[in-house]
Amino acid sequence: MDFLIFWLSNVPGFATPFALGVLGMIICERSGVLNLGAEGFVLVGAMSGAGVLISVGDVPFVALLIAGLSGSLLGLLFGFLVTILRVNQVIAGLIMVFLAQGLTSLLSRNMDWVNKPFAGLSKLNTGILTEIPVIGPIIFQQDLLVYCTLLFYLVAFYFIYRTSIGLRLRAVGENPDAVDAAGGDVILIRLLAVTIGTFFLGLAGGYFTVVVSKIWVDGISGGRGWIIIALVIFARWQLSRALLGAVIFGCIEALIPRLAAIGVQLPQYFVLMMPYAITLLVMVWSNLNPKNIKAAPASLGRPFLREERH
Amino acid sequence: MSSYPNVNKRKGVKLELRDPMSFVNKFIVLILSISTGLFISFVILILSGVSGSALWKEFVVYIFTSEKNLSSVLIQASPFVVAGLAAAVAFKARFWNIGIEGQMIFGAIAATYIAINDIGPGSVRLLLMFTAAGLGGVFWILLPAFLKIKLDVNEIISTLLMNYIAFNFLLHLLYGSWRDPSTGFPNSEQYDVFEILPLLGWQSLNFSSVIAVLLVVIIFWLFVSSRFGFVLNVLHASSDMAKYMGIRVSLVILIVTVVSGFLSGICGFLVSSGIESRMTQSFFLGFGFSGILISFLARDNPIGILVVSLLFATLVIGGQSLQVFYQIPFAMVQLMQAIIVMCVAASEFFIRYRLIFSF
Repeated sequence: MDFLIFWLSNVPGFATPFALGVLGMIICERSGVLNLGAEGFVLVGAMSGAGVLISVGDVPFVALLIAGLSGSLLGLLFGFLVTILRVNQVIAGLIMVFLAQGLTSLLSRNMDWVNKPFAGLSKLNTGILTEIPVIGPIIFQQDLLVYCTLLFYLVAFYFIYRTSIGLRLRAVGENPDAVDAAGGDVILIRLLAVTIGTFFLGLAGGYFTVVVSKIWVDGISGGRGWIIIALVIFARWQLSRALLGAVIFGCIEALIPRLAAIGVQLPQYFVLMMPYAITLLVMVWSNLNPKNIKAAPASLGRPFLREERH
Repeated sequence: MSSYPNVNKRKGVKLELRDPMSFVNKFIVLILSISTGLFISFVILILSGVSGSALWKEFVVYIFTSEKNLSSVLIQASPFVVAGLAAAVAFKARFWNIGIEGQMIFGAIAATYIAINDIGPGSVRLLLMFTAAGLGGVFWILLPAFLKIKLDVNEIISTLLMNYIAFNFLLHLLYGSWRDPSTGFPNSEQYDVFEILPLLGWQSLNFSSVIAVLLVVIIFWLFVSSRFGFVLNVLHASSDMAKYMGIRVSLVILIVTVVSGFLSGICGFLVSSGIESRMTQSFFLGFGFSGILISFLARDNPIGILVVSLLFATLVIGGQSLQVFYQIPFAMVQLMQAIIVMCVAASEFFIRYRLIFSF
């Protein structure tokens, strides 16, 4: 029982960055922009968050905000490349990853941010609520961003499915020509979607350093950006399934250190492989259902070429 | 355009499709955009505290006036060429092989297995290692290829995830039973003399250059003169067309991924046997992404891959001395590659469109 409570109380912390990242990816990809640069935006967010805490001081929420904004800043560049200059979206995404890896490594070394521990964001103290058996530590002993993430999901759900802005976003992803004919600005909508989406990816990165590791080293995201992309496919670009996917993945990631703690002996590097292997399994499992393959926004990955329409 | 009369009257910036550009003009645009990328990179380097004259010396003077450095560039270029070919072959069939690094790891693991267990007589050891490396690479791409063909699992993500799995397996070996017994360091024991690619007689240039050039010739033949190259071109243009022509697309994808995996495995072998003489835990770093970028810059053309690889290798060798003398992190090289490719990718917009300003 103790094992179960301990495990489950760790789940939200592991699930939150995935939830944030997948939310960002869905906002971005629902507009038809294929975003393979997730790992890059996550890295930039992670480094900026750590940078603020080291250089400015103990201001975790400013750090998280800056993490999101720096994700958006790189996102603007990405958006400019894919919407205005119509660069191949796969190539542009990979360039973002490469660029971010180089940039974060160079900048963090120039600013002397590498391997410097900081206080970061600690868990919320809800006092008496924590004392409630079982659900106390699971629900009430988390950091503030965990609850904010749920709020973000509610707001995003409202915007995407219940407002005309969300309708336009989804329409651009399905049929940009129709939106264009109806007088909508396809490029602007996509640019906005990319900027907002990459904010959440940056925030997810910020979570990794500000809340989880409380230190920055090169490549700290360790491929979680790619796992986020896989989770989007699992989620069929839907918010409800995205949250489910993030929680499932949080359970798995939280379970791995617990297993070692209760004395299950596994070869270290095989344990480290598990998230990637499980992600691969999740992708296989997702594609066993043909519905999933058709779930992608119809214009995903295709640039909007108004001048080349016949 | 005439079907949108009021669009033409609108003020501001407007796009117009150009007539297809001539090869020469395209080439000029390519050179201009690569130069722009280099310029931006050098500005970043100058901001990081390296003087302009130092950059000129490290990237041009010292490389092209010293035979030793020139040969280092050529040695560095060989695995780049092969990684570029591995990427290009797969892209021809629209298979994005982002898993080159994982396949390199398994290539090197297979070759190292042959080396440390002394399999086969010394005289054919290198040939065995070469073959094993290729097959190791094939082994590591088969699962993503199979998943792509059978279940349409996105190969970009599956091959990338396989990289992380391969890397952890490599660490498992190097921190476990394959640790160098003589030094205790987490890399494989040093290869024997007959397990290292032989020198060609000029500086430290070795047989890896010959292998790289041979592979360029073979892939060039495959793309340009073979029947299979024609099939690839059809598939690259349109997979629907390929289906209507009776081409078995899944078979072509399988063949292409096998070739790509084989080349990636060889690439791993060229680094471990041609440069480092052992298998280290970071020998593959950067080659996967570089291979993709090289193949993109060269538009999947094998000869172009040779040229771009030389450029990238020059950046690496220059970057290594910047690292030693100016403490610039090696990631700067990665950043430079990304910036150059970004400029070239952006330039395609200006090849396709003309901007018309009307005020």
